[in-house]
Amino acid sequence: MTEKYLAQPDLGFIAQLKGLGGETLKKCYQCASCSVACPIAPEDSPFPRKEMIAASWGLKDKLIGNGDIWLCHQCGDCTDLCPRGAAPGDVLGAVRSAAITEYAQPKVLAKAINDPKKLPLLIGIPAIWFAIFAYITMAHGDAMTKLFNVFGIGWSHAHGGAHIISPANFFSTWFVDLTFVPVAAAVALIFALSLKRFLNDIHRNAVQEGKTQISTINYKEFFQTLIRVIPVILKHDKFNECESNKDRATPHMMVLYAFIGLFIVTAVCGTMLYLGGYPGPYPQLNPIKWLANISGVALVIGAGIMIKNRLNNKDQLSSYKDWFILGVVFILGLTGMLTEMARLAHLEYTSYFFYYLHLIAIFNLFAYLPFSKMAHLVYRLTAMTYAEYGNRK
Amino acid sequence: MDKKYGVYICTGCGIGDTLDMEALVDVPDEEGVNCTTHPFLCSKEGVELIQKDVDDGKVNAMVIGACSRRVNFDVFKFDNCIIERANLREGVVWPHSREKYPALTEDQKDDEEHFDPIQMKAEDYIKMGMIRVEKVSLPKPYETESFSKKILILGGGVTGMSAALDAAKTGYEVTIVEKTAALGGYAAKLRSQMPVAEPFETLQVPVVESLIQEIQGFSNIDVRTNCEVARIAGQPGELTVTFKTPGEKIPFDVPFPLPEEMLIGEDGKELDAEAAHAKYLEYNEGREDILQLDPNGELYGAVILAAGWRPAKIEGEAYSHLGVDIADVISNDEFEMIAARGKIVRPSDGKEAKNVVFIQSPGKKEDDADFDYAGSITSMVALKQAKYVREDYSDGKAYIIYQHMRTPGLAEYFYKNIQQDDGIFMTKGAVTQVTSQGDSLAVTAENTLLGENLAIKADMVVVAGGMVPATKDDPIINLAYRQGPGFRDNDIFGQYADSNYICFPYETQRTGVYAAGAIRRAMTIEESMEDATGAALKAIQCIESSNRGMAVHPRSGDMTYPDFFFQRCTQCKRCTVECPFGALDDDAKGTPKANPTRCRRCGTCMGACPERIISFADYTIDSIGSQVKAIGVPSEDDYDEPPFRFLALICENDAFPALDMVGMNRIDYSPNVRFIPVRCLGSVNTIWIKDALAQGLDGAILIGCKHGDDYQCHFMKGSELAETRVKKIGDALSSLALEEERVAFAEIAIDEYDKLPEIINAFVDEVEAMGPNPFKGF
Repeated sequence: MTEKYLAQPDLGFIAQLKGLGGETLKKCYQCASCSVACPIAPEDSPFPRKEMIAASWGLKDKLIGNGDIWLCHQCGDCTDLCPRGAAPGDVLGAVRSAAITEYAQPKVLAKAINDPKKLPLLIGIPAIWFAIFAYITMAHGDAMTKLFNVFGIGWSHAHGGAHIISPANFFSTWFVDLTFVPVAAAVALIFALSLKRFLNDIHRNAVQEGKTQISTINYKEFFQTLIRVIPVILKHDKFNECESNKDRATPHMMVLYAFIGLFIVTAVCGTMLYLGGYPGPYPQLNPIKWLANISGVALVIGAGIMIKNRLNNKDQLSSYKDWFILGVVFILGLTGMLTEMARLAHLEYTSYFFYYLHLIAIFNLFAYLPFSKMAHLVYRLTAMTYAEYGNRK
Repeated sequence: MDKKYGVYICTGCGIGDTLDMEALVDVPDEEGVNCTTHPFLCSKEGVELIQKDVDDGKVNAMVIGACSRRVNFDVFKFDNCIIERANLREGVVWPHSREKYPALTEDQKDDEEHFDPIQMKAEDYIKMGMIRVEKVSLPKPYETESFSKKILILGGGVTGMSAALDAAKTGYEVTIVEKTAALGGYAAKLRSQMPVAEPFETLQVPVVESLIQEIQGFSNIDVRTNCEVARIAGQPGELTVTFKTPGEKIPFDVPFPLPEEMLIGEDGKELDAEAAHAKYLEYNEGREDILQLDPNGELYGAVILAAGWRPAKIEGEAYSHLGVDIADVISNDEFEMIAARGKIVRPSDGKEAKNVVFIQSPGKKEDDADFDYAGSITSMVALKQAKYVREDYSDGKAYIIYQHMRTPGLAEYFYKNIQQDDGIFMTKGAVTQVTSQGDSLAVTAENTLLGENLAIKADMVVVAGGMVPATKDDPIINLAYRQGPGFRDNDIFGQYADSNYICFPYETQRTGVYAAGAIRRAMTIEESMEDATGAALKAIQCIESSNRGMAVHPRSGDMTYPDFFFQRCTQCKRCTVECPFGALDDDAKGTPKANPTRCRRCGTCMGACPERIISFADYTIDSIGSQVKAIGVPSEDDYDEPPFRFLALICENDAFPALDMVGMNRIDYSPNVRFIPVRCLGSVNTIWIKDALAQGLDGAILIGCKHGDDYQCHFMKGSELAETRVKKIGDALSSLALEEERVAFAEIAIDEYDKLPEIINAFVDEVEAMGPNPFKGF
């Protein structure tokens, strides 16, 4: 590369990274032990050495749109072996966090999600929202039935006949879906817009730094590559190459599979409800229920182990964004399981209470997905696909 | 001294097992000298045995045939006795084993065919030792006529003041001479300085003020500002110093020696002593000769040279790519002065300089060395000055582009601390260009840690100039020495006042003058203060040694000194010229005047003297010559095929310890070489080599220290002079129909002992291929 790169350090960006868990970024003295230690860095211009100097120089342009930061799985091998006490793994984590905020729109929301002071607001909005609709469901069922009948649609999705405890009696499934379907659509739109910019940026960065030979992206081939990459992610092949934090791979896998399981359950339930007219809760002998229970348990255990690991690991820095997402996932799983358990124990209002909390947790996960650490699932998938597609070696 | 001889041979450490002790004891016996053997001579009993003989008045000149003289020297120490150590262990039985050289059977002993090379070597060493104790005498310490214990310090900066305080605290009287109007030096002009104390992290207020205050509390420190030294005459312990106001011209300004071209007369021949002296007086008109002592001069014992440095100027074609002609491209010195005045502003328009690039290396492709006279301090100054930018502007950015970032020792904490600043950016890289771009500067660098060609926009660029020692511009010390007022051959040190700072810090080429601080190398205030302590201790050592007639360094404690037999002196001046330390001053006629407290006792004068009139009490032309003659040279009368014999004159500083190491490692080499340790190869007088060849030895080799720019010679010039002299005898040998290759010269470092056997054997093989010395048996 003979083109000159004009370095424009951004002091604000350095401060931002420090606040996001990258406080050691200025300790690096560029020995490159980290790049040697990293089990998953490519041989050709490996990370995280170059990312470390870019970070300590505050070169935002070199980091935010750098696909390599997403190839890092934050094993911590580099951090362990750093002779200067810098934590490249955590610095890259901070850069990823900054990148998520950078690509996510609207910015106000992105900033709020990384700000502990805004947490009451983030929880309060869905809490009020769900409280209002729970009140409508419970107190004005008749009015709603009439209203729905105007459109020729049945209101209640609760089982007819004998009174059984069903969350739908507390909070109408209509309201659930009227909340989450638009949220999902918005999330999908936000991601689509972000990913377009993101993919352009990582491609431009790769071309600039000579990390790929490809000049333009062929989206058909890119998609085919994506299909090839998914099994790698499902098997956690890269994650398992890590040494220091090997024990992190298993709970991460549990959480991932739990979400996949719960996604299938939700999809089946929705189909059964709207096409088959068969509402939940399903009996315990139903295979879908099995899947739901196993996934729920896996989610609680997986998230629980992750929290425990982070509490025990003094070397790895955990920032607010880590705790936020772990908390959301853990509470989501736990409240889901408790709702079911209370229901089976015939504790009707206890069950509804947990279901209320469960809904808030789900909202926190879904609505804030493009802004929280959870967005990594989209960016990392894209970056790993790009690396494979661009023949990053 | 009425000598009473005795020989003591230890049979321990394998000596008794390897050698035929009866035959060995016969050697002194035949001379009528009593010989005692002991199985463990260095034990309490063994030493008591010798001590008893000494106490009983039986012995006062002894040969101890045991281990090398480099070990147990504190054990075999008997007052008022001449002691010679015959190296039977490291020199004979350890390198040469019976497996390789089997002992002779009774039948073989006198068959004129077989001989025992190990036994022969041991017997030669006993003989050589015996003749030496016969030839040398006990030294009597030299006493100066007058003596001063005062210490003179040249330079009133941090180094000079620290040295003064250190010396004053031990009770010595000190005078500080400062050229300018006030104490403080460069350090007084700084905004902040690098840390000098724990935790070595942050910038601190310069220490200068507190040093000045502390000095005022000492009545034994005499401070003279606006003052410099016109000349320092005499020798350590009695240096006569003339002071003057800077710029003043006085008769006791130091005279300079005649430049070499002026020593040639109109006829193209070298001028004789008197003509040269006349010309010298003319050349130095208005100045008194060096031997003329200033009656108003003040007496001092030793000098600490702390004259410091000046900032290097980075200018000219070689640095034009760095934009050194642009107003806002300045040196680190200029930057410091701006910083000391207030906020960092640009010299061109006085605008705030918030983006500053610090350039540490010239960025030349073929050589990535920093600028001349730079060092670790220039790295640290860049860190310090980068911090200034950040101190002055919260949005300031300081970039350091370096090839070397040196922060030795605890300074690493300083580096780590500076590195933590968000607005300081560092990268290794070669700066390719600095250009003016509108209102700002554009700096480009390649091969950086950021990968590609880097460009930075800056308000100001700071180039890391080095610290030029004061000795580059001026002799400073103004010694009234025949060899000249300054240090000789200082160019190999880049004009730093230092003789060999790796081995001998603080030493200069002039005994009694100890350099400290930035005059020795570019260094920080912290290092200078530590250096000052070292130099103060050296000055004290010099005073206390000279006072007792002892050599200071490196032959610390040596009581001998060169003694001239003037009746035979031809005034050739070779000793005056060749002395590496300028110890000798010749008078108008060319007769040398010895200044024993300047002398380091290397014997270079003894090696130089064609008349062989210079000697030391225990080291003379005759003592070594007789040792050479004591080497047995077997001829065809003795054996059908007599073994060859070689002389090796080996420098006792590095080569001899290396040879001992060869012995300790039981590595064999030709047992036909006889080694005689010498003080320095410079002390080797070619007469010894000529004598050796004349008596039938087949070859002679000189083994000494490496010379050249990175010399390791403890006396700087000794091994170099020896090689020149050896080359010269080559011609003499040819006239005797002897091959030049019979005399060889080898250089060795102390850690290269493993190469020594190869060197010795290669020389032996080469000479053996030529055949025996035709003079053998004459």
